[in-house]
Amino acid sequence: MKRIALVFMVLLTVSAAFGAGKLTLMQNKPEIDAQLKAYAAAWGQKNGVTVVVKSIGGTSGGMGPQLKADYAAGDMPDIFAFDGLESYKEWEGLILDLSKEPWVSKTSVAFKYNGKVYGFPVAVEGWGMAYNADLLAKAGIDPKTLTSYDAYKKAFEKLDSMKDKLGINAVVSMAASVEMGWVTAHHNFNSLLSNGLPYGDLSVTNDLLAGKVDAQRLQEYADWVELLFKYADKTILLTGNYDAQVGAFATGKTVFLHQGNWVDPNLKAANATFKMGFAPHGSMKKVTDGIFVAAPSFYAINKESKNVALAKKFLNDLVTTPEGNQYMVKEAGMIPAFSGVNLNPDGQLSKSVQEWAAAGKVYSWNQYYFSGDFRDKVLTPIYNQFAAGKISKAQFVELMTKAFKDNAQK
Amino acid sequence: MTKKAESTLVFWIFLAPALFAFIMVMVIPFFLGSYYAFTNWTSSARADNALRFVGLKNFVDSLRDPAFLYSFGITFVYTILNMVAINVVAFALALLVTGNLRFKNVYRVGFFVPNLIGGIILGYIWQFIFNNAVPSLGTLIPGLGFLADPDKLLLSKNTSALAAMVIVGTWQYAGYIMMIYVAAIENIPQELIEAAKIDGASQWIRLKSITIPLCAQAFTVTMFLTLVNSFKQFDVNVSLTSGGPSTMLMGKPILGTELLALNIYNTAFISNKLSEAQARAFVFFLVLAIISIIQVYVNKRREIEL
Repeated sequence: MKRIALVFMVLLTVSAAFGAGKLTLMQNKPEIDAQLKAYAAAWGQKNGVTVVVKSIGGTSGGMGPQLKADYAAGDMPDIFAFDGLESYKEWEGLILDLSKEPWVSKTSVAFKYNGKVYGFPVAVEGWGMAYNADLLAKAGIDPKTLTSYDAYKKAFEKLDSMKDKLGINAVVSMAASVEMGWVTAHHNFNSLLSNGLPYGDLSVTNDLLAGKVDAQRLQEYADWVELLFKYADKTILLTGNYDAQVGAFATGKTVFLHQGNWVDPNLKAANATFKMGFAPHGSMKKVTDGIFVAAPSFYAINKESKNVALAKKFLNDLVTTPEGNQYMVKEAGMIPAFSGVNLNPDGQLSKSVQEWAAAGKVYSWNQYYFSGDFRDKVLTPIYNQFAAGKISKAQFVELMTKAFKDNAQK
Repeated sequence: MTKKAESTLVFWIFLAPALFAFIMVMVIPFFLGSYYAFTNWTSSARADNALRFVGLKNFVDSLRDPAFLYSFGITFVYTILNMVAINVVAFALALLVTGNLRFKNVYRVGFFVPNLIGGIILGYIWQFIFNNAVPSLGTLIPGLGFLADPDKLLLSKNTSALAAMVIVGTWQYAGYIMMIYVAAIENIPQELIEAAKIDGASQWIRLKSITIPLCAQAFTVTMFLTLVNSFKQFDVNVSLTSGGPSTMLMGKPILGTELLALNIYNTAFISNKLSEAQARAFVFFLVLAIISIIQVYVNKRREIEL
């Protein structure tokens, strides 16, 4: 009998449940994981609660699977990140209305739906064409003139002819492999949706969602994509991953980089000391003098959480306490989405985004109005085919048009 | 309590943890999943969230999706190539390390070690080799300039990317299969081989008429393992190619190396169609079960009892 008792003891110990009274946060920026954990630990100590931070990044869908698994297991986090309308809809029944929170009046980029605020903007991010100012100066090109397709075309041709003199491999560092679909089918795609339109204008987006394609706009956009692909480093374009793409720019092997200000820490790690900034996308014939700036993701509070009050306080403290501000801006290096935060991030590209935003020269992010399915499984292969030269520009336009029409019929 | 009753009890108690785990993570999810395949289940908090029975809709939608059909085809091609490559390489290595080779134990360990590296990491390592190491060889060595040509990179086209996956799959798995062959070859009675030698049989004849037939049992096991593992390939697929590069099918651009398991995963978590992914997983299970039963049946008939 002793043996049996022993087995039972072991089973009991193993199955013993433990742990209660904690606040769980799941977020999608692994690059700030360490900083957020440190801040959350300090905040938790002050407020007498253990804050558990789970960070899961990656391309579209990155955090989704874990969130769904946790939801199915009845272990939904108290605070979780989502990136826009499509993911909001996925969790609509669970997201708490935050319209009455004190931070709402201090930001213009909170996530709103039907006039109510549902998402706390994590930061402000932006992308355009990141340029190496030193190389541009050497080639005698003023980045301020880069605001339209024709200006870019001339600049790219000139830079391409000076390759040896500048010591570059290619003009642009662009990635179009399937793994990097978020660069083409998310970020670049947004040029088609919002470039040159007033901030928050959804006319083009809604037309495309309804299957109505503005042929002229799409044609000009296709010219821009072709230009980028033509002057891109071909190895990086077809097979490069994030490291390869950012690395080529960081080491001065390309003049332009098609990424956003989140590459600042990577550039710092690679000891890139040259002067840099953002120039607008040249996806149109007309001048489009602005870059794409918005909140990349939002924190939502789980309606069914037992710690709603604490979760609200956690978000509010980020905005209103010096420790919270210090964490957001200096530790995590993010551009604050709130007025009254008087700190500035150190990265050059982040500063450039702030300058564009301060000047009011910004275009919105509308790509999240399209489903992940549409962007990653329909558009990504089209861009990839075009990049590999397997389809012509005319076919690209045709396939894009067809994709929008099919999408509208679903 | 009698001695016998106690030992029966101990038997079941020791079995309980494993049985519990098996029921919880295999049996229940299997039946629950099969049930969800016939519903509109999403595992999220959408506004119209009520669980509804939708009949065969998920199956019909799956079969109408060119990407799913393509994944089926490409998975068959990959499985056949991978089975052949792994078994040929593994058998050759096994012959090598059972022969009169110095340091053969070192070789055995060396060939086996890749199997201990996780598939995700392996995929990233080989991605680096294919995308960075090989092209730099091309720039360093004069005669090999074509290696650096971006159009000729293995991972830049879907057909060669599939070949790249076979290379990585073989590299990962051949050592493990080799161990099974080594055990089988070492179990062949030496007197048979000696008798054949005295009769003047050449090395090739000895291999063809003695070694291979007597390894038939090993072949049943290795074929089964490589078949199932290739068919279920997921981790190397994700990290090495993410399903790319793209290709065209029925006038629609689709992912060119998206094997079935990855297609199911993407359907579930990128397209947010969990119940449709369940339906695909169910089809996947049925097909794999039927193929493996046929394979084991065919192989079993070739086995020889000594």
